[in-house]
Amino acid sequence: MIAWLEHATGGLWPYFVVILFGFLPSEIWRWLAVFLARGIDENAEILVWVRAVASALLAGVVAKLILTPTGALATVPLVWRVGSLLAGVAGFYLARRSILGGVIAGEIVLIGAGLAFSG
Amino acid sequence: MPADPAFTPRSVTWSAVRDGIRDAAGLPALMLMASLIGVGGLARDVGYPMGAGVLSTVLIWAAPGQMVLFGTIASGAALPAVAVAVSLSSVRFLPMTMALLPMMRRPGTPTWVLLLVSHYVAITAWVHSMRVMPDMAPERRIPYFFGFANTVLIAATIATGAGYYLIGQLPAALAAGLLLTSPLFFLVNMVASAKQAVDWLALGFGFGLAPFAIAIVPAGLDLLVEGLVGGTLAYLIHRFLQARRAKADEP
Repeated sequence: MIAWLEHATGGLWPYFVVILFGFLPSEIWRWLAVFLARGIDENAEILVWVRAVASALLAGVVAKLILTPTGALATVPLVWRVGSLLAGVAGFYLARRSILGGVIAGEIVLIGAGLAFSG
Repeated sequence: MPADPAFTPRSVTWSAVRDGIRDAAGLPALMLMASLIGVGGLARDVGYPMGAGVLSTVLIWAAPGQMVLFGTIASGAALPAVAVAVSLSSVRFLPMTMALLPMMRRPGTPTWVLLLVSHYVAITAWVHSMRVMPDMAPERRIPYFFGFANTVLIAATIATGAGYYLIGQLPAALAAGLLLTSPLFFLVNMVASAKQAVDWLALGFGFGLAPFAIAIVPAGLDLLVEGLVGGTLAYLIHRFLQARRAKADEP
């Protein structure tokens, strides 16, 4: 019964899974932060450290999405996945600090490589 | 009427909400739509209804976490293991929310408002807010954030539903391009908002440590370890540089 329910796709079960096993385990960090941030001043020194940890974590998320890709992204070789990120940063500066310029440059490199390798 | 520091005139509030909507309804909304199209496709791959995919965007509001949710379900992992994997992928919301709230909170802001704000914290709104809010009048920050975050959330929700039906029909190169959108947009945004040495150090350590963390640290914990180690190293170097500069400034 339980085993069958684990990955059932009918009725309301998928919605319960999203709420209980997706929403709650994720949301708990945001709620916890609300209480931990109480009484911390905007200019508190500890926030410099907290922000550095958050930035390093975000960089880690980006690196992980590129180094261990899922789905169609995995069909593009690693060199080109990393190359598209570098092209994005280069495009950002060449287009005079334009975020759109960076995104377009990175996408051109990746989609170009994708077309070349998927034949 | 006595002035309540938590509340501001309606005209100020609504003009800030409008500014937030205007700033979101362009590149940020488009980028999130491109990322969440892929998530809609993942929900379909595990046999879930379109509504469950859409609900995951509204409630989880973290594309990487949603990818982990549907990815681990697809791998047949037991549900408690799915919950642990999703939770570990969302640890970043703790330092992100802690860094953002003190900037938005004013004396007397009710806790329920802060809890509601915290739900909208995700990479796009966070990076954007950290960049623009220091130069914004404090009373405009919360309404601006709600305008911005709701706009990107609505756009992303629509894209999740559309992606549920569309993603299978796209050529592989284009699907790869859509999946690249979020890491690429996050990266360019972080580069754009890095101001001080500590920001660059944190980014550099975050990237530099990633291959080692993925190889050495048990799956799921890698991001947490990397964030703590990389962020702390960046902070310590920042302190060291500050101390040296202070010494050099002494007469």
